[in-house]
Amino acid sequence: MVQLDDDRLIWIYTQMLRIREFEERVKRTFEEHPGVIRGHTHLADGAEASIVGSLATLQSEDQLLTTYRCHGYPIVLGTDTKAMMAEIYGRKDGLCGGYGGSMHLADPGRGFLGTSGIVGQGIPQATGAALAAQIRKQGQIVLCFFGDGASKQGAFHESLNLASLWKLPVVYVMENNNYNVATRSEQEDANAANGEPLSVKAKAYSMPGFTVDGGDPLAVYEIVSTAADRARAGDGPTLIESKVYRLSAHGNLIAPPGVPLHYPEHEAITVFGNREEYEAALRGDPVPRFRARLVEQGTLDPGRADEIAERVREEMDAAVQFALDSPYPEPEAALDHVYA
Amino acid sequence: MCRIRCFEERVAQLKRSLQVHGLIHLSIGGEGVAAGVCSQLRDDDAVYSGHRAHGHAIAKGAPLGPLMAELMGRADGLCRGLGGSMHIVDAAHGFLGATGVVGGNIPLALGNAVAARLRGTDQITVVFFGDGAVQAGHFHESVNLAALWELPVILVCENNGFAEFTPRSAHTPIERVSDAVAPYGFERATVDGGDAAAVWAAFGEFLAIAREGRGPMLLECLTHRRRGHYEGDAEQYRDPLADEEWTRSDPVARLRERMLAEGWIEAAGIAAVQAAASADVDESVEFARASPFPEPELTAELVYAG
Amino acid sequence: MAREIPYIAAVQEALQLEMERDETVLFYGQDVAPSDEDPLVKAFGRDRVRVSPISETAEIGIAIGAALAGYRPVVELLMAEFMLVAMNQVVNEAPRLRYMSGGQVKVPVVFKAGYGFTAGWAGQHTGSIYNMFCGIPGLKVALPSTPADAKGLFATAIRDDNPVCYFIHYLMVLEHGDVPEGEYLVPFGEAAVRRTGGDVTIVATGWTVGRALEAAETLAAEGIEAEVIDPRTIQPLDAETILSSVEKTGHLVLADQATRHASAASFIAAEVAEHGFSSLKAPIKLVTALDATIPYSQPMEAYVLPDEVKIASAVRQVLGTAAVTV
Repeated sequence: MVQLDDDRLIWIYTQMLRIREFEERVKRTFEEHPGVIRGHTHLADGAEASIVGSLATLQSEDQLLTTYRCHGYPIVLGTDTKAMMAEIYGRKDGLCGGYGGSMHLADPGRGFLGTSGIVGQGIPQATGAALAAQIRKQGQIVLCFFGDGASKQGAFHESLNLASLWKLPVVYVMENNNYNVATRSEQEDANAANGEPLSVKAKAYSMPGFTVDGGDPLAVYEIVSTAADRARAGDGPTLIESKVYRLSAHGNLIAPPGVPLHYPEHEAITVFGNREEYEAALRGDPVPRFRARLVEQGTLDPGRADEIAERVREEMDAAVQFALDSPYPEPEAALDHVYA
Repeated sequence: MCRIRCFEERVAQLKRSLQVHGLIHLSIGGEGVAAGVCSQLRDDDAVYSGHRAHGHAIAKGAPLGPLMAELMGRADGLCRGLGGSMHIVDAAHGFLGATGVVGGNIPLALGNAVAARLRGTDQITVVFFGDGAVQAGHFHESVNLAALWELPVILVCENNGFAEFTPRSAHTPIERVSDAVAPYGFERATVDGGDAAAVWAAFGEFLAIAREGRGPMLLECLTHRRRGHYEGDAEQYRDPLADEEWTRSDPVARLRERMLAEGWIEAAGIAAVQAAASADVDESVEFARASPFPEPELTAELVYAG
Repeated sequence: MAREIPYIAAVQEALQLEMERDETVLFYGQDVAPSDEDPLVKAFGRDRVRVSPISETAEIGIAIGAALAGYRPVVELLMAEFMLVAMNQVVNEAPRLRYMSGGQVKVPVVFKAGYGFTAGWAGQHTGSIYNMFCGIPGLKVALPSTPADAKGLFATAIRDDNPVCYFIHYLMVLEHGDVPEGEYLVPFGEAAVRRTGGDVTIVATGWTVGRALEAAETLAAEGIEAEVIDPRTIQPLDAETILSSVEKTGHLVLADQATRHASAASFIAAEVAEHGFSSLKAPIKLVTALDATIPYSQPMEAYVLPDEVKIASAVRQVLGTAAVTV
């Protein structure tokens, strides 16, 4: 079992809380500042333990690519949350100058090479970054994040086959939240329909596959570290299925301009009428769960936990305020950055 | 099998003398699979195939004359000269099509199986593809769905160890195609594709399951591609099989030897079969040569239906 | 110092030189150098030269990812139509990532493929689909029609920091032409005037450049001097050279192996109609493939394609020296 010191454990908790608070503030923006966020946002609440546990294994030159549900990762990497919020608000001081929005954050200087808005299509790109890492021979690895829905994409198959054949230094982390928008994975996945873990797919690529409780950051840290070590040693990729539960709906309402946007209830309730499933997930919320664990084992003092929470709230207040105050880009800026 | 062998050898000659043109992929070495599978199917069962489709089409019942005419681009060709070798269709016998896109019609085969189920019939669908197709994304997408929906479709993979000009080991760490579907609960088997009787037996078992509306299944047939990837391929990338070795793996020769040994047929019977095949092929060439080239205006007629 | 070599050798030469010059250039694709004895492998090693399976989405996506991570991959896609399997990566990812990141990242990849192989390869292998990649901001498209341009445009494509579709013409691979030795670059966005003339401007791409030149010879015997312009890259397009020519000649015919509404000819014609209207003394005429999937049978295949006869006929029509046909 992994041994992390108290500072590291508290750091993990803090990052989880930062992600949660940031996502809460994004969600609240729809109510508190209607019209400010346009388009489609996708939140990571419920996946914090998996995100932080995975990223805690990274070394300084490692890289990652993610899906459009991308806010959590740069937060952990140290990206400025003010710039992130400003990007989501479409402002000039946004992380990407307002060009990408919520689904297309990027911070290549910190190793976050970007996202794809198309399910599964970042998987080959992460595989390519791993190819680059292999050629460079500096011990870098790449983490590739995607959801269970992506595992039905041809891109998944082609990428995992190649990564295994070429022994690329990549760790594939599939965050399985059991839903693909409003479809349950048993409805679309032969393995899920058979009650099997999705990690069995790894067998078709001659690579190790593991399933882990994505609500436990230390369990995630342990398995991702093992996979990262394997990749660094040149032994090739690993597929990790991290089981999480998304606490918000897939994304905010999709509607034409003029219709106020908001976050509806989770699809378990709205589509399947299964409120009990959702409530059980709430009871198992990984953020308070980890806090309670650290407090119980004496690592974290409740007073300190409250201080951390207060600082995090202040940080995200500042992020929202900064974003609200940030000007919009000049319209003509739309023609910049088309070509390098 | 004799008909396929004879036809393909003649096509090779005709290609060299430029009477057949374009991109041609021959089924020499694949006769055991084509015959072992297709001869057990009905006209209303559907077969899809890849770019190496002549053998499958013939075994499914495609008439040799119109097939040869298609390869010569004539108006009486199966596709009126529009498709050519890689796009053979013989709908009357359920050969719904060859494709030039590797694995490209595996999803189409699934669709056919869905339709059969909706109609409530016991028609089954077979799709042939090579080992190269297994690494393509659409293969994966099809495998998941076929398994999820338990479709009565039989995937037949002719694993000849090469995808175009590179060996399988350059494409994937998974040696056996049947292992590629291991996570998905397929009924699967690997047989020696050069042993027509073994192919017949293995496919027959899967056929029985599919007739009950159940599936999916994958039959991997290990074969040897006697000639290059396409006619004109200099094949510098592999060692040619020595002649005696080829005789040992040649499905036509093997079945012939076995039939003689088991007393299922006499030498005279063999000769008769071969003579008939040769005559049929000769006739097909005459038919094709006698067929005119299509009127160019045909190109405008068939772009849209209706 | 130039010497005569075939088109396909010029392509190889560019790749070799660029891989020597810049160790971040990678080359992989289906059937690329499967043997360790291949000269490219011996020169540059298996890290940089690899064979990949039939997995276009992964091959192209991997190129994008490696580019994001600082390399310059060249992906051998063999035929432009195989890119269709992975259109998302080509159109929706590679050219858009830089922009969406606000300029933080760049994607210096080259998608190398052949096209137009109307030699009996039938409906799925013979298209000229380059127009599908035009009008996608962030993407560039090069169509070399000579060995020298095959070399020069490939080198420029590799050095370009943007995703480039570098499409060679399969009917031309054995055509010989003068190719400079050593480093040789042809800039994007600069058309080449292949033949000067004062009576009519013919704009042609790829294999149709040769057809236009043949038509020009026929027409010269009739006293008509055609100016033949080869854009060389259709994105970016050198409209200026074309407009200057039309200003001189007053007449425009465009030849393109693609079908009408999928042709480069169609959008080039629109540029001239809008910006060169006052120069035109007659309507513009397009000579493109007819609207059908390329048929297999040779007489039908020839029928649907543009050729020197059809080009010459179109010229006579715009010059008013022939009856207009429908």
